[in-house]
Amino acid sequence: MCALKMSPAMPERPGYFGYDDSNVILELRLLRKEFHVHRGRTIVKAVDGVSFQLHRGEILGLVGESGCGKTTTGKLIMKLIEPSSGAIIVDGEDRTRLPREREIEYRRHVQMIFQDPYASMNPHFKVKDVLEEPLLIHKIGRTRSERMDMVAEVMEKVKMSPASEYMDRHPHMLSGGQRQRIATARTLILKPQIIVADEPVSMIDLSTRAEILHLMKSIQREMELSFLYITHDISTARFFTDRIAVMYLGRIVEIGSQDEVIDHPIHPYTKALIAAVCEPVPGRVGIERELQVKGEIPSAAAIPAGCRFHPRCPFAAKECEELPEPELEDIGGGHLHACRRWKEI
Amino acid sequence: MSDNTASSAALPVLTVRDLKLHYFTSKGVVRALDGLSFDLLPGETIGLVGESGCGKTTTGVALLNMPSPPGRIVEGSIRIDGTEIVGLGDHELRRKVRWSKISMVFQGAMNCLTPVYTIRKLMRETYAEHFVGERIDAAAIEVLMRKYVTLVGLPEHVLGRYPHELSGGMKQRVVIAMALFLEPKVIVMDEPTTALDVIVQAQILNLIKRLKRELKLSYIFITHDLATEAEVADRILVMYAGKMAELGSNEEIFGPAGSRHGPLHPYTQKLLASTPLLRKKVSELAFIPGAPPDLIDPPAGCRFAPRCSFAKEKCRSVEPPVAEIENRHMVACWKAMEDPEYVRA
Amino acid sequence: MNLRDSMESLRDFWAEFSKVKTGLVGLALLLAFVLLGIFGSFIVPFPGASSHWRDITFWQDNPQAAPPVWVNFFSATKGCPSTTLTKPTVNSQDEGNGVSLETFVFTYAYRYDLPPRDMVIRLKGTGQVPVSITVERPDGLSAEIYRDQLQLAEDDVQRVSVSRNCAQAVIEFVRGQNEDLASTMSPELIKPIGILFSKLDTHVSDSPTPVKGEYKITVTALILSSDFKLDKPAISISGYVSGLLGTDASKRDVFTGIIIGIRWALIIGILTSVVSVIAGVLLGIIAAYIGGAVDWLLTRLYELIYLLPVLPFLIVISAIFKPSIWTLITIICLFFWTGSFKTVYSMTLQIKEETFIEASRALGSSAWRIMLKHISPILLPYSFASMALSIPAIIVYEASVSLLGLGDATIVSWGQILEAALSQGAVINRLWWWVVPPGLMIALMGMSFAFLGTALDKILHPKLKTR
Repeated sequence: MCALKMSPAMPERPGYFGYDDSNVILELRLLRKEFHVHRGRTIVKAVDGVSFQLHRGEILGLVGESGCGKTTTGKLIMKLIEPSSGAIIVDGEDRTRLPREREIEYRRHVQMIFQDPYASMNPHFKVKDVLEEPLLIHKIGRTRSERMDMVAEVMEKVKMSPASEYMDRHPHMLSGGQRQRIATARTLILKPQIIVADEPVSMIDLSTRAEILHLMKSIQREMELSFLYITHDISTARFFTDRIAVMYLGRIVEIGSQDEVIDHPIHPYTKALIAAVCEPVPGRVGIERELQVKGEIPSAAAIPAGCRFHPRCPFAAKECEELPEPELEDIGGGHLHACRRWKEI
Repeated sequence: MSDNTASSAALPVLTVRDLKLHYFTSKGVVRALDGLSFDLLPGETIGLVGESGCGKTTTGVALLNMPSPPGRIVEGSIRIDGTEIVGLGDHELRRKVRWSKISMVFQGAMNCLTPVYTIRKLMRETYAEHFVGERIDAAAIEVLMRKYVTLVGLPEHVLGRYPHELSGGMKQRVVIAMALFLEPKVIVMDEPTTALDVIVQAQILNLIKRLKRELKLSYIFITHDLATEAEVADRILVMYAGKMAELGSNEEIFGPAGSRHGPLHPYTQKLLASTPLLRKKVSELAFIPGAPPDLIDPPAGCRFAPRCSFAKEKCRSVEPPVAEIENRHMVACWKAMEDPEYVRA
Repeated sequence: MNLRDSMESLRDFWAEFSKVKTGLVGLALLLAFVLLGIFGSFIVPFPGASSHWRDITFWQDNPQAAPPVWVNFFSATKGCPSTTLTKPTVNSQDEGNGVSLETFVFTYAYRYDLPPRDMVIRLKGTGQVPVSITVERPDGLSAEIYRDQLQLAEDDVQRVSVSRNCAQAVIEFVRGQNEDLASTMSPELIKPIGILFSKLDTHVSDSPTPVKGEYKITVTALILSSDFKLDKPAISISGYVSGLLGTDASKRDVFTGIIIGIRWALIIGILTSVVSVIAGVLLGIIAAYIGGAVDWLLTRLYELIYLLPVLPFLIVISAIFKPSIWTLITIICLFFWTGSFKTVYSMTLQIKEETFIEASRALGSSAWRIMLKHISPILLPYSFASMALSIPAIIVYEASVSLLGLGDATIVSWGQILEAALSQGAVINRLWWWVVPPGLMIALMGMSFAFLGTALDKILHPKLKTR
């Protein structure tokens, strides 16, 4: 069922990437994904023109609320779903549509950590089976003992030692944090280049969260992995990532280093997000937060005209609705945003 | 233990003494809630915080005396507005206590609204189940419903809508309205904002604060997230492994550690240190190695001792009682009680 | 999964299974069936019957349409049961000149009211051997029922049947006692064996009085030279009642037939169910997981076959082609795979959406790997329940086809026994012991698998969550 398709011409790279792009491992160009629901009558634009670059050895956070398209972007990168248009470029080569053999090779180098550490592992498998599966799929390791050595090695790496104690357990015999370590180990055993982590700690207890994040970060630094960290929790993004991209309704509205984006946000949505976050500080009990945003997130099937944030933006003017959607604008130092009126706000 | 210090002139609206709720499973007796005591004053919000398995949700359902089988309240007393509710039959509870004196917003309730009923029908049904005294006629119920639906910030026409037509935030408001409209004195909220997006979460928290101010209600606010707790709770009750670890005011718990006012229990301290901050860059997040104890066979002595960096011999053998350190700030910790040099760090 | 884990999960499974009482009953019945199926040939009174079921000579010595022996408990008049006399007292008398007279004396204790149907003396030996057979009655009378010069060869068995071969001799015996009585008798009309065991009065033919006591049957052989010999003869008494479940109109022991039938019922039932369920499960997983054209094709196929009535189809095919049991099994399989297909299909659709399947795809798993390693193990326990539950219907289908006379004539199945019973007039002749047991066994085996299957289903049916 694989028709030989001519891949469409790679879209032009948007002009705003003045960033050092010699070290880019993953680049998305105008990636789009549309879902046809209700027998094709409604088109949901889950991802509506996403472009960004991920550099080697970098952790990029993809932050946004539910329905913003961040998980869909992750799945597009993982090739779990096919894009409607746009390009995925890894190591300089267009990998948007790949034949089967090249796809397997791609999957070796791009791995995913899922949100629910229990659901992401077959409950009938033992830990050693879970970790052996990638080796078997990619035909690594000639004998079983060779593969088991690799399994033990990667378990030590995620600090599940002694490995022999955990190898024969089933996922339900492990705690949430331990399961997520195994999930991490599963991604590492093939020595990948890119890891997409979709909310890896949101279902783990607070007191173990930092431990898992700390572990991931140290492994990332040691193995020079490139991380895409998808989350709705901007506070952990602050702690964990190098750069942050903020997504709204299928598009990136702001991207930059995490200090810049969080301490000096430009886009009104980013500002609203930051203003809405609670912190464990005293004296806030009687105070209602001022939220610079109106209404609720519209459906991705009915994206507002012009700037897609304008119906909820307290600073919106007529031009925000009438003029076409603003592109990401570079204000220096790799900080980009998509707001037309930012100088006036 | 009585609670009559000079600052609380009013009588508590809710008094809990030595509350124990155990689950009698085939694997053994799970001591989910093992002796909890506290007072709730009128107009006060107590935040019940802890990680999964600490007993906070169990406490919530216990306060309405509706443990899910195989659970049972085995000991203790709960007095709401002077009425003892432990030991009351189900019929009496339904007619005299639940929803009229104390109501609950359950975890994930917004997703449990019957999809084939309109909001109006759902609320009418709630009324029919729980009204006290003379039953009022349909027109009066309608007035009541409209009042509370408007109070939670929804338009009146929501009453005619079905749950699937409403957004997440709106559904949560509906659930809150349903908990309010029989005008109880105490409302228990179990993770009311956890499933919501950041901005909607902030909006709901604003609503809760406004309702508190306008209606002078008492809340029990249950969550695992300390940051959310800081927003709403006057006093924080930290739970660990079915017992109270600490109960202090908002300023005391979130105040600067290392000062005279600050969290006393090592668990609270670690929990705070593992919550990431947004507006201040944090280089290290703390974590607590290990896992909470098995509640079928809890360890002797302090239940936190196996994971506590300050644990001494006494901690491992004798369970610390809840002691009042100063001015309604309670802790269950030997070090806090006995070590005069103990700087809250 | 190594042995230790399998043992542990087996233990957990057993703990749950033993709580369901009907399941235990079903399991016990099944075990009984299996043991009888395997070891049955050792306990049946007629070993070797399965290959000789339709061989008349094998059953020669049995009575025809005899009720079971235990009806004697419920009746005032006791019928004589079938038996074999095998231990004669051997006496060899030397007559000189290399000639010896060999006598074999059999004792037979006769305590019954109703005489046997026949008495058969089987003679084997070599050479020319004159043989005579005498019966000494407890009332003192003695009858020589047989005298002849036998030409015996190796592997050649001569049968002397009292009913068939000794009528004239018996009349002579009667004549010796009562001339008038003998003159009323003609060889074609009398029952020689009955007369032999009854009082010789005027009622000997219509309402005979039994002569009870010890009978001595003597076989005398004259061995004329050392080359000639007569082996120890055997005497079969073809009783009035016979066997645990009687005999049928072709003299076959019904109990043996039932036991042999177990083997075939189990083979047909288990083989068909295993093959059809595995086929259904595999096809269900493939259709649901791969989707698209494959799904469309298989679902249409399912819909087509699911609606076809099995029995008429089987009947038509069997009537036209007269197939063997293996063809029958194949055809039933072609129908029965639909039973598990739909359930497995829906379950696979759900399992397909699980995160761990997605994770496996993300790792680069091929569709086959996911279907075989991830999905099938989840559905395997359900398959067992499905197999057990489909067996009763399969057995009944085979019995129905056999009942209509369209079954495979080379095997012995309960359906076939029933067919023989009905076509050879068992109902009219009230041969209940022939009709009831096969039907009962079909019901019993169906019941045991149904119990077992329901218990398994209760425990193993995957609930909506796969945890």
